[in-house]
Amino acid sequence: MRLSDIMANAGLSGYAEIALILFLLAFVAIVVRIFWPGRDREMDATSRLPLDEDHPQTRHTGDRA
Amino acid sequence: MKPQLDTFSYDDKIVRQFTWATIVWGLVGMLVGLLIALQLAFPALNYGPFLSFGRLRPLHTNAVIFAFAGNAFFAGAYYSSQRLLKTRMFSDGLSRVHFWGWQLIIVSAALTLPAGFTQAKEYAELEWPIDIAIAVVWVVFAINFFGTIARRRERHLYVAIWFYIASIVTVAILHIFNNLSVPAGPLKSYSLYAGVQDAFMQWWYGHNAVAFFLTTPFLGLMYYFLPKAADRPVFSYRLSILHFWTVVFLYIWAGPHHLHYTALPEWASTLGMVFSVMLWAPSWGGMINGLLTLRGAWRKVVEDPVLKFFVVAVTAYGMATFEGPMLSVKSVNALTHYTDWIIAHVHTGALGWNGFLTFGMIYWMAPRLFQTKLHSQKLAETHFWLATFGMILYATAIYSAGLTQGLMWRAFDETGRLQFPDFIETTMRLMPMYYLRVVGGALYLVGMVMFLYNIVRTWQTRPAGYEVPEIKAAPLAQVYVEPPHPAEPVGALARFVRAAWHRRWERLPLTFTVMTVLAVVVASLFEIIPTFLIKSNVPTIASVTPYTPLELTGRDIYIREGCFNCHSQMIRPFRYETERYGEYSKPGEFVYDHPFLWGSRRIGPDLAREGGKYPNLWHVRHMEAPATITQRSIMPPYPWLLRDAIDFPTIQKHVDAMVMLGVPYGDAVTRAPELAREQARTIAADIEAAGGPKGLADKEIVALVAYLQRLGTDIRKPPAQAGAGPGGH
Repeated sequence: MRLSDIMANAGLSGYAEIALILFLLAFVAIVVRIFWPGRDREMDATSRLPLDEDHPQTRHTGDRA
Repeated sequence: MKPQLDTFSYDDKIVRQFTWATIVWGLVGMLVGLLIALQLAFPALNYGPFLSFGRLRPLHTNAVIFAFAGNAFFAGAYYSSQRLLKTRMFSDGLSRVHFWGWQLIIVSAALTLPAGFTQAKEYAELEWPIDIAIAVVWVVFAINFFGTIARRRERHLYVAIWFYIASIVTVAILHIFNNLSVPAGPLKSYSLYAGVQDAFMQWWYGHNAVAFFLTTPFLGLMYYFLPKAADRPVFSYRLSILHFWTVVFLYIWAGPHHLHYTALPEWASTLGMVFSVMLWAPSWGGMINGLLTLRGAWRKVVEDPVLKFFVVAVTAYGMATFEGPMLSVKSVNALTHYTDWIIAHVHTGALGWNGFLTFGMIYWMAPRLFQTKLHSQKLAETHFWLATFGMILYATAIYSAGLTQGLMWRAFDETGRLQFPDFIETTMRLMPMYYLRVVGGALYLVGMVMFLYNIVRTWQTRPAGYEVPEIKAAPLAQVYVEPPHPAEPVGALARFVRAAWHRRWERLPLTFTVMTVLAVVVASLFEIIPTFLIKSNVPTIASVTPYTPLELTGRDIYIREGCFNCHSQMIRPFRYETERYGEYSKPGEFVYDHPFLWGSRRIGPDLAREGGKYPNLWHVRHMEAPATITQRSIMPPYPWLLRDAIDFPTIQKHVDAMVMLGVPYGDAVTRAPELAREQARTIAADIEAAGGPKGLADKEIVALVAYLQRLGTDIRKPPAQAGAGPGGH
């Protein structure tokens, strides 16, 4: 029996819809995570990276302890 | 304790090199674009084989995509990555290999495409040795880029870097899988896939080439250069992250919308449409994010040509990404597919988004790269207005042409017959719009010449030696300590959304890259596996047999001359198509088509059922001088086909390659040239008997006629002939 025979009889008609739902769930998870409150300072700092480049950086980035 | 600072410098020489390449190749690509626009308006400008429309059109698309936009991406990426990552590029040597390798590939394209060497896949026309070179150079770029990330001094990867990463890995995947083929000579190959599967792979590639070569890299550039030029951070960094992930998640699915109502399985087409429509949201989110970055800086826009270019670029991105999902809706697509509307859509994106973003970026970088003032702000302003006006003129003309074409093709009169049964009627109606397009394109090109002049004059005032500023930055700490979170999460959901895992990805480029690849690969496999493995998607037809050796040769000539650039071979199941062209196309008809030749545009009529419509002599006369058969035809003449001899000895090699692909060639496996000569003699005798030219039995025209006469005839074969095979013509 060939792989294509197995696939043809595997009943995969709902396969694409399942993928759609999985991707939608992943998308919702990302949206929730991005807009969750409490990351303003971090977001603001990161958004300024292109503008900070002309100034010398005098600390280890990320090492904020 | 203060950490010790590293001292280093950026490699701006490579940025200058890519910048020059962008401008020079952009000029060449747009010049070829203007020439082919002129050829459609004035067909007499098709001169000889090397300068005919079918061969030049892929040269135009390849030049503007890979040479102009490609070099622009590299210039911007090399400039911004070093600064965002606070390090010099990983290897100056690899940067140079990347630069010269890429330019060599462009030169190879410029030589081989007009010479007729093509794989016949849009934006993937280049033949297999050049494809291998592209893969190698791309890997060099990737090693250099990821090496730079590994040596960075900034812990967090700014969103522009994410877009670059996604572009680099996805383009590699797309390029490799779409270009898998069996070589049949030094510059000849046949796609590994056939018919429906080949079409599916091509548009999975084709759509995502637009996504990951023309969109995501330029979004990365936008997120870096727009804040720089406006001197303010991006409006919403959260929105930019959302923009990134949704684009990566959704784009990869959308390819099948290029194949609505074709022989592609319905489910794949629908899936492509649904994901395309979902793309509306992130694309517009991105556009709004770009425009709102200028909040409070609109006064600057009035004064600064750089910002003007950026504003139009982002607006064009919004327009093109509004229109794209709209065109993917099946009922809209039924009207617009194969028409000039798609050409207008593509040019809104290419001229507006890619072009204007590149112009703005280079005008911004030039004074910094050449360490002097821009030669003329006024000239840059004039460039802006000329290019804007040219683009509007181009788009208005070609949108009108597309709409006119689509409506005329489907018009029925009161008796229920096609209102415009002669295809040429619909072509003639477009000519004023084709003239207008030439004017629009010429204006854009004049702007490009001003751009070159302005940058050259700026370069001329550079200092005797470039200053190399020393940059100081602290190296990354060995151990990363998570910053204290203001509100510690409570509960599983909160822990998830706090998402320390994601923040770790942002610091761990390898993991981040793997996740991006995973999103792209999983989405691709969801569509690809069923298309390839579920038999019911491509029901076979018993009477469909492989092309005879001579027909295969004719098909190769059809490919060489780029006929697929103007003629589709796919009749959609609409009454207005079946009335005009015949029975709609079935998936099983294409199982031996390596590559598929469905086309994406109808400058001329569909040829899927061309076989048997006209006598052999008609085709000879038509190919020699189309306007003598169809008055006012805009098709180029192909007189060399009546002069040039068929290369019979190579036919065996081509048949052998097909056999390797699993095409059942029977007798022809051992005596392909002999069978070809036999069929050629029969056709030549028929042409001569009908009063046509003598002595065509060894000329290329006979092979092409054999192929054209075969098109779409298999499903009409009587059962007795069905099993005759390629030797039984």
